[in-house]
Amino acid sequence: MSAPVPPRTGAASAPVVVYENVRKSFGTFTALNGVSFQVNKGEVVCLIGPSGSGKSTLLRCTNALEKHDGGRILFEGVPLPADEKSLHGVRRRMGMVFQSFELFPHMTALENVCEGPVTVLGMSKADAITRATALLKKVGLADKALNYPANLSGGQQQRVAIARALAMQPDMMLFDEPTSALDPETVGEVLNVMKQLAEEGMTMVVVTHEMAFARRVANWVVVFEAGAVIEQGPPTQIFDAPLVSRTKDFLSHLGWEG
Amino acid sequence: MEFDFAPVLESWRFLLSGLWVTLLLSVICAACSLVLGAAVGLGRIYGPRPVRAVLTFYIDSMRAIPVLVVLVWIYFAVPILSGVTFDPFWAAVLALTIHLAAYAAEILRAGIESIRPGQVRAALALGMSRPQIIRRILLPQAVVRMLPAFGSLLSLTIKDTAIATVIAVPELMRRAEAVAASSFRGAEVFTVVMLIYFLILFPVTRLVDMAYKRYAHLGRS
Amino acid sequence: MTLDWSIVWDNRWLLLQGALLTIVLTVATMAVAIPGGILLAVMRMSSSRLLSSLSACYVELFRNIPLILIVYWAFYVLPLMPLGITLDAFTTGLVALCLNVSAYNSETFRAGLNSIRKGQVEAAVALGMTRSQALRRVILPQAWRRVLPVLASTWVSLFKDTSLVSVIAVGELAHTAMQIRSQSFRVLEMLTAMAVIYWMLGYPQAKLVDWIHRKFGVKE
Repeated sequence: MSAPVPPRTGAASAPVVVYENVRKSFGTFTALNGVSFQVNKGEVVCLIGPSGSGKSTLLRCTNALEKHDGGRILFEGVPLPADEKSLHGVRRRMGMVFQSFELFPHMTALENVCEGPVTVLGMSKADAITRATALLKKVGLADKALNYPANLSGGQQQRVAIARALAMQPDMMLFDEPTSALDPETVGEVLNVMKQLAEEGMTMVVVTHEMAFARRVANWVVVFEAGAVIEQGPPTQIFDAPLVSRTKDFLSHLGWEG
Repeated sequence: MEFDFAPVLESWRFLLSGLWVTLLLSVICAACSLVLGAAVGLGRIYGPRPVRAVLTFYIDSMRAIPVLVVLVWIYFAVPILSGVTFDPFWAAVLALTIHLAAYAAEILRAGIESIRPGQVRAALALGMSRPQIIRRILLPQAVVRMLPAFGSLLSLTIKDTAIATVIAVPELMRRAEAVAASSFRGAEVFTVVMLIYFLILFPVTRLVDMAYKRYAHLGRS
Repeated sequence: MTLDWSIVWDNRWLLLQGALLTIVLTVATMAVAIPGGILLAVMRMSSSRLLSSLSACYVELFRNIPLILIVYWAFYVLPLMPLGITLDAFTTGLVALCLNVSAYNSETFRAGLNSIRKGQVEAAVALGMTRSQALRRVILPQAWRRVLPVLASTWVSLFKDTSLVSVIAVGELAHTAMQIRSQSFRVLEMLTAMAVIYWMLGYPQAKLVDWIHRKFGVKE
């Protein structure tokens, strides 16, 4: 059904996440119909495909915000645990960034970034503030530390959300359509932060509709359709010479000219 | 038709001491029903199934029975059942708290359930546990969102204390009745007392609205 | 302690009569307070400063005083009004309830109409509808969904609040039960019966309100 998987070149080192025949359904609707691929250390893997094709569902299954009901998801070689308590331990090692930011509105930008280290890792307030301040500086928002989310633009909120996830010093980052809710003029500032992260060697799984970003930054691209992977490969293959005609249809539908 | 406000003015001390009882009763009832309501509300959302069923039954029953009925039942019937007699004031505290806590619980539930699921997901993704999420993410936002409803509840509490007159709690309403009965100037007495209640209740509603406008963004995720 | 529940059964017709009067009071009050609330809301939103502030003063006053006080006040003040007739207790109680519920309903209607975004009228007018067509076909159907659940909640509150007119001896359920109590001295039995009857009448109403909220409530 899907195209043969080409050999992985470049940063192909130890796998961080392995998806083995992952299935998930909501009632009678099959969201994931046997998805298999892997994410290696230091790689940026972009998941693309039409809306409703299962990309976001798979991302949410990765840190068990949704429970998959078939197949296996291995994180650093170990299947995701079933009990909630061990899941907390897994989740704190995966940072996640949401389409709708989900900053905590009753906390300032700085408090949002401190929240994980203080509450989950039990770090002292002073240490957390040092770490959070450095991260806000890194995403270019040192001067907005004391602003509440309501006083930040969408792009600024999303950069705070990235800092909040990084504050846990995660082994990998999950991005769920991080720029889809943004005004066009602020998309760039968020993508730049993500690009910088990629260059630093962060392992990233990114669900995105930003094809230019996927083309430029990804090491590996996975194309979804109707809950299944129809093609995967390096961006040069997917964007310049797709093996599957439906990949080509999807891309030309978006106005991608190769 | 002639009005004579002299009897009202002559008994201002008597009415004022009633006003203190009204305010004291209101504050105690508001505090108690907030505490009980928070416990009931959280149990109603997060408790195990049988607890949820019992609490839902309690809440819906209180929505169905008039506060007057709860009040007279507790004051007159409970002593017969238990042999313990109540001071009217504490019977009123108990009855109003039992009644209002059900409303407070529903307000808390509506507040928490109105917070969109993404907030819980974001907190889970950080590795937070259920109790941490409730305490640090949901409750602080819910409290802000519930401010207008709690303002209404506070004003409802003050209004409901007037019903305690039927079990002879010496609050403002009771005192007004007494002055009306002794002076035969009911129209004047009740008009003045209406103004007193209005002057307390109107600022309460306004202040809460203003506070909400100021802090609404802290609850808007 | 010996209990004698036969007192409840012996007085079943009286209690039924009281319960019926409670329902009649609820229905009659709403029948007056819905048009009353609409009138007040229209006054409030009219361009006349006088009408608008009259309505605002009325609504704020009657929302911010205890209903039991309005009942007493009506009992003492209405006879002083140059009406030419003496009002019986039932009518006095009804007037007090209407004064209170009209104020609440007016806020309900106003909030319902205000909640419709201005863009909706603009969109309707842009389609070539007249103002009144826009009101009838676009605004009212949407406002109705917001108003109905609140009216339903007010209905249940009103049903319970009718018990307060018992203080001026209107023979509804609470007054009837408490009368029987004081004549028979079967305090526990009668008060419990009163609570149970209110519960049996009120519980289904509360559940119905929940259903209306689920079915018609607007989610933002």
